[in-house]
Amino acid sequence: MSSQQIDIREAIRQAIDEEMARDERVHILGEEVAEYNGAYKVTKGMLEKWGPDRVIDTPISELGFAGLAIGAAMCGLRPIVEFMSFNFSFVGCDQIISNAIKMFYMSGSRFSVPIVFRGPNGAAAQVSSQHSHCVEALYGNLPGLIVLAPANAYDAKGLLKTAIRNNNPVLFLENELSYGLKMEIPTEEYLIPIGKANIVREGKHITLVSHSRMVDLCTEAANELAGKGIEVEVIDLRSIRPLDLPTILDSVRKTHMCVLVEEGHVFSGICAEVGFEIQQHCFDFLDAPIERVCQRETPMPYSKVLEKETMPTKERIIAAIERVLR
Amino acid sequence: MAEKKKPHPNIFAHDLEKIVKELGKEALIENLKKMLLIRNFETRAEAAYLQGKVGGFFHAYTGQEAVQTAALAAMGNNQWWITSYRCHALALLLGATPVELMDELFGKVTGNAKGRGGSMHFFTENLLGGFGIVGGQIPIATGAAFAINYKKKFPNIANGDSKDVAICFFGDGAVVQGSFHESLNLASLWNLPCIYVIENNEWGMGTHVDRAVCVQPIAETKAPGYRMKAYSFDGMDFFNCYGGFKHVFEEVKKTSRPVLVEIYTERFKGHSISDPGLYRSKDDLAKCMERDPLVIMLKALSTHGILSEDEYKALDKEQKDIVLESLKHAEEAPWPDPIHLEEDVYAP
Repeated sequence: MSSQQIDIREAIRQAIDEEMARDERVHILGEEVAEYNGAYKVTKGMLEKWGPDRVIDTPISELGFAGLAIGAAMCGLRPIVEFMSFNFSFVGCDQIISNAIKMFYMSGSRFSVPIVFRGPNGAAAQVSSQHSHCVEALYGNLPGLIVLAPANAYDAKGLLKTAIRNNNPVLFLENELSYGLKMEIPTEEYLIPIGKANIVREGKHITLVSHSRMVDLCTEAANELAGKGIEVEVIDLRSIRPLDLPTILDSVRKTHMCVLVEEGHVFSGICAEVGFEIQQHCFDFLDAPIERVCQRETPMPYSKVLEKETMPTKERIIAAIERVLR
Repeated sequence: MAEKKKPHPNIFAHDLEKIVKELGKEALIENLKKMLLIRNFETRAEAAYLQGKVGGFFHAYTGQEAVQTAALAAMGNNQWWITSYRCHALALLLGATPVELMDELFGKVTGNAKGRGGSMHFFTENLLGGFGIVGGQIPIATGAAFAINYKKKFPNIANGDSKDVAICFFGDGAVVQGSFHESLNLASLWNLPCIYVIENNEWGMGTHVDRAVCVQPIAETKAPGYRMKAYSFDGMDFFNCYGGFKHVFEEVKKTSRPVLVEIYTERFKGHSISDPGLYRSKDDLAKCMERDPLVIMLKALSTHGILSEDEYKALDKEQKDIVLESLKHAEEAPWPDPIHLEEDVYAP
């Protein structure tokens, strides 16, 4: 099997490009996706290849174009909506929540909404409070929505292709700081099923569960602890909703210890949900209380000193693991 | 009591004789029957509500029947139709049966949305809803118009879909939502064949339009700001609405440009069933009910020798019986089995 070394940005671009070639109903719209070639260059060259009917620049009008795309999806198209930042999705939140997510059920299974909302989520570098929020805990609360958060190029491509073919609204969360991460992936087409977590690194002493960019921090922490003889099992959720509980629970039953890591806030976060499931299903297997490493309870500050302090770091993850193992 | 300052719109000039001739006796009576069905359906459903058989919110279209009935007559079922939570009439007009709608109001599994939607969320093949958030449907309709254009450019995916326009109804209260502004801007920018219809019944719940919208008439003042054409119709007069919608429909098919229509109408009931309407005086209400769209239509039809008062009464009775039958069905229809509660949250 032939392979290629590409970054996450290119993996996402290939996924969109391949699905547009496969299905004429697929199109992409958003701010600066066409003539500007994408705010983060994910859609570079796509306007030239597919033309303005399928690669569509929108005005800065998130409520309007998110709702428009939902309407188009109800009428038989398969739109991909790019948010320049998922923080901007809040402007169109009512459309996503009230119209996209609830439609299939509410309409007596009459109208499905096959749509992908994608774009960078969470913090970048010093972009302060209003551009740094992690949205998965907010949207994760809503049945009817699929939430995906890949951490590498292989997963990004395979999951996005599956998401575009899915008949439900999908939130596809990327990360600005990770767009340039390279990886060797197949040249041939492949798909990754929704709802399957990935064991990134096997270990027997403690389970570390995370998603998106934090997976790399977890791996770094695991590498460092390996030098001290601690074998950490790192699980990348990949799919937040639906959640792959069996993979998580099997791991915890093996290691008896667990630390959960999330870039978003601690209160009502994804870790709160995962942690609850673990205690419910693995109560007798746990040898220590579960720890969480999340963003502290502050809006994102601008100063790099403060930004670092509020975010999960390798050091905070290692400290949490050591507390649990103690 | 809000003081009413009537705006001075340029009401569309229709040709009554031409319309009577164009539609003919049979179609005119058919349209009157539809209006009578809507009136009877809501009257009986409201009674069932007061008996505790129907729950949730219930927004009656009573008084506004001529508007959507005329729109359907002018543009036909085969378009995309979208409206607010005040959606009983449009669903009936688009072919949902009184039985499936009454079953839905009763929360029965045989209902229009399997007992999941209720009064505010009715659907048909061409009715995208039934939307519960004020103004929330306006971008959806814009997307339906986008899909119409897209399928024309890529006929391979049209699958026999041959719609010309999307028609979006919303109240005067929705005009001041951001969704209105963003949708009209996009529709104009991208030449989307969407007909936006403001049904101005003067009240956003209990707030008079004078206290909610800074400039009136709404359509005629706002449309130019979106490089769109505006029309104003008399919503109590089926013929005026029919003539107006027919004109607008032909225009949009030709231009593929969005249009903003404002319809001057009256709701005879409160905002919802739980609203006693204390903000309106009895005199005001009595005065607007003098212009009942059913009475206006009957008058026109009898003047033209199409229908007598007795024949009208017989039609009314016929529609009432259909509705009574649907009530009986709803009473006896099975409840949803909770075993299916969590099905269909996701599409297959």
